[in-house]
Parts: sequence; structure tokens; C-alpha cells
Amino acid sequence: MPTGPTGCGGRPLVAEPAGRSRSRTLNRRELVRWGALVLAIGIVVVFLAAQKSSTTVSYKTSPVGRNYVEGAAGELSGAVLPTVEEMERRVAADQVVVLDGAVARWDTALIEDMIRGTDERILVAPPGLTDVQQKDLARVESATIRVVGTDVSGISSSTLPEWQHQFITRDITFLLVARIAIDQDSPAPSVVGPVEWRPPTTAELAPAVRELSSGTDLFVAPGATLTKIPADAEHAFPPGRVLYAAFPYQPRGEPVPDFGTALTAAFPDTPVVVMYGSWVGYYGPGQADFADVVAAGYFGPYGDRLGRFEYPQLNVLGTYLDQMTNMRYAGVYDLPLPYRPVDPLALALPALPWVFGLCVVVFLALSVTPLVQGRTAAARPGGGTGSAARLAGLTSLAVEMSALTGSAGNPSLTRGIRRLQSATEALAGNLPVRQVKLQLDRAETELAATARALGRPDYQPSAYLAGLSR
Amino acid sequence: MTWSWLIWPVGVVLIAAAGYSATYLARRRTRDLLRRTAWNNARAAIEAAGVSRDAAPTTVEEAELLYRRAELIAADHGGLAAAREATDHADRADRLWRAAARG
Repeated sequence: MPTGPTGCGGRPLVAEPAGRSRSRTLNRRELVRWGALVLAIGIVVVFLAAQKSSTTVSYKTSPVGRNYVEGAAGELSGAVLPTVEEMERRVAADQVVVLDGAVARWDTALIEDMIRGTDERILVAPPGLTDVQQKDLARVESATIRVVGTDVSGISSSTLPEWQHQFITRDITFLLVARIAIDQDSPAPSVVGPVEWRPPTTAELAPAVRELSSGTDLFVAPGATLTKIPADAEHAFPPGRVLYAAFPYQPRGEPVPDFGTALTAAFPDTPVVVMYGSWVGYYGPGQADFADVVAAGYFGPYGDRLGRFEYPQLNVLGTYLDQMTNMRYAGVYDLPLPYRPVDPLALALPALPWVFGLCVVVFLALSVTPLVQGRTAAARPGGGTGSAARLAGLTSLAVEMSALTGSAGNPSLTRGIRRLQSATEALAGNLPVRQVKLQLDRAETELAATARALGRPDYQPSAYLAGLSR
Repeated sequence: MTWSWLIWPVGVVLIAAAGYSATYLARRRTRDLLRRTAWNNARAAIEAAGVSRDAAPTTVEEAELLYRRAELIAADHGGLAAAREATDHADRADRLWRAAARG
């Protein structure tokens, strides 16, 4: 005869696996819910971390380096200045004093005409002075205009023709004229026109064409200091051949041979970079589009230093090409760029809000549905069918026993029936299964006592329920 | 795309609201269930004790006192603690009356 717990009946056991799978789906659902929350928080963190603002706006990061060491570019000429006293003495003696090593050229007759009868004192020093030498020069107080290299104190070139005069021929006439006019409070006479160009003679052009046709990309005319093509030159142009031709400073006041145009005619569709002294010009494809822009962008900021110092042509050209590279990488001219791997974060960022929104919706849905379904779900408590069967069995036992009880069995049977009522109430009120079972257990105890008092072992609840479920 | 940033604050608020309401409602439901369970227990105990009193051959003063106190507490319909106290009193009264019934 089965006893004890099996008295709960065979049927309740049927409900067990169903309950377990229910809790398993519940767990998976919770997992998805919390996963969505964690993912959403992670996305917010990524989004916030990506919210960096920068004042640097660039199409791509240019490869040009920014480290510059004073004096390392070979800009010092090693020129020696006289003592300050000596210079003071010479400036006091002459209106125009030209120190040894000075390179600037100007229309001497015009300038002498202009300063005759004024107290202008012009001191012309060589380029490439050290900091100390420049300070010495500044201590020569009687000089009203100091020229270092081709840099005139108090004034500087600001247009392409002016830069061309200053860096192709070292002609500073226009700067001196303008400066003197400022000093004398008189309108500046216009003395500077565009640089005059002439086609180079066949004899001038032949060596360059011959050299460049032989396969090398670099032609250095006698007197020019360029030694090689700068290392970073390939960034400045799309892949392909680029020709470089370097010439020395040109004589002042004479038309300049236009090697750039001539070489472009000899080598069509090939970029040509031509140097005269400290001047760099670009010729060839796209010349009209950006040659002037690059030149202005280069000589604008660097013109003062180019005039004051004696940079080797290699460094002048290198910086010019860097400027060109910066322009190109700024995306202004739609030139093709070298391949750069894509940034996955940059690609993913636009999708983040949508993924985040999805996570919110999932979390919201999984959080709210149990609340909405809560009442109906609670109406089907787990194992409820088992408890209901047991309740029904015990109730019918109580009914059967109530017909047999005398006064001795009454109290325990009544208490059992009260407990059964409580269990019914608990079942109807959606109370936890444990509570229903507790009341049923109590009822069973009372009914068992009743059965003992009646002397009817077949009315023992365990035996009775086992008989019912058989 | 100017409105698209709204998804962040709105999403955060929704998540917070959903989490709060889910937690709060679940907790409130649990508390309610616990309270009802406790009162179900208490009422059952009081009724059982009442049966025992009717069946007791003699009057047990202490049990009467406990029983009346339990009924008073139940009449007030308090919270969890009150229900447990009422259950406790009723159970003790029940035991006393049963002991009296056994003699």
C-alpha cells in the first residue's frame, strides 16, 4: 500500500515537467531582457565615447611632419658681421651701407634719387644670420632701414609678382621704394610690374631636355644647389612621372627664361616643378587650378624666412612639396588618395542609434509583457491542477467521513473541513502553491486523526487518495 | 537627421521607466501575495481554534484571552506582522483547548 507523499496522487506529477519548461523559457526570456539592457548601456557608452569634437577639420591626416628644429635646415650662411661700432661708423658715413656677403639687388640710381636729402640710412646685411647677429644688427640704431638677405625691415612681399622678384632675382627695389615712401609720408610710386618672361634659347633649353629625356627626373643647372629630389615628393602628386629642374638666382632687371612652359611643351601631360633660386613654380596638368594657390599658401607664411635666411634649394623644394601635399590631402582638388583602411567605428556609428533603439524596444517589451499578462498568469499557479485534485479528493473523503462521525470525531473533522475551506480560498485567491499545500497538509493531518478516531484505516487520507487515483 | 539624437534620451528614459515599473510592480505584487497568504493562514488558524474551543469540555481562560486577541487583530485587518501575530495567538489557543479536550 503506497503511503506518505505519494498520497498526493499520481496526477500532480504530470504537471511537473510542464512547470520546469515554463521556468526554462522564463530564464531565456530574462536572459534576452537583461542582454538587451547591457547591450543598450554598452552602446550608450560607445556613443558617448565617440562624441569627440576637434577643431582640426581635414579630409585625411596629411603625412607631412610638424617637427622643426631651428638651424637644422641649413638656413644659416655663416656670414661674419663687423662689430656694432664699426657698422654705426659706416652707417654714419654713408646713406647706403652694403656689408660683405649681402645678396640683395636693387635699382641703385632710383633708390639714391629717393633718399637724397632725407635722413634715410639703409644697412644691407647678408642672409642666414644667427639670432645673436640679428640682435647686433638691431643695435645699429642710426640705420632706418635694415635689409637682411632680401628681407626689408618693416615691409614684406604679399603678391605673386613681388615674391617672384624677391626670390627669382633677389630684386628688392619695390620693397625699398615702398618702405621709403612710408617713411617720407609720400605716395609710393609703382615701380614693380610682373616678372618679365622670355622663351629660353635652344642652347639654354637643350641640356635640360637632354638630361630629362635620358630617364632621370631631375635636372640641375650649373649654379643651382639642388642635389636630389626630396624624399617625400611622391605624396605631392598622383603616381606617375614628375620632372624637377633647378636653376640659380636670375640676374636682376632682365627677362627670365621660362623653362617651365618650355619643358611642359617638351614633356606634355607631365608635372614639371621648376626652381629659380628660392622660387618654386609648378607647371603641367592642373597648373591653372592650383599652382598659384599653392604658391600663395607657401610664400605667404614662409616668405619672411626665405628672404632672411639662406635655405638650400632642397629644403625650399621639400617644404613647397609638403605644402602641395597638405593641399592635396585637404581634398580640395579631388585627387586620388592612397588607400586607407576604413575605420570600423566610423562605419558603425550611424547604426548605433538604431541598434540602441532596438535594444530599448526589446527590453521594454520583455519588461512590460509579464506585467500585462501577470493577472492571467497568476490565475494558473504552477502545480495548481495537482493541488486541486488533492483538494477534491480530501473534500470527498471529508464528506464520506462526516456521515460516520460521532461526537468523538467531530472536532478534528470540523477543523479538517475548515482547513480544506482555507485551501479552497487560497486556491481561488491565487495564493502560492506552498500555501495551498500547507492547508491541505493540515487538513490531511486532521482527517487522519479523524480516521484513527473512527478506527477506519481505509479512511486514512493517503490510502483513500491512492485508491482514488488508481 | 537633427531629430535622431532624441533616440538617446528617450531610450534612456524608457529603459529606466520599464525597469522601475517592472521591479516596483513585481515587488508590490509579491508583498500583496505574502499579505494575503498570511491572512489566509491566520483565518484558518482562528477558525480551527474556534472549533477546538467548541469541542473543549472546560473553559480555558488563557486560551479564551489569546483567541479573543487573535480575533481582535483579525478584525483590524492589518499587515503581514498583524496576520502572523494573530496566527500565533490562535495556534496557541488551539493547542491549549486541544490539551484540555484530551483531559
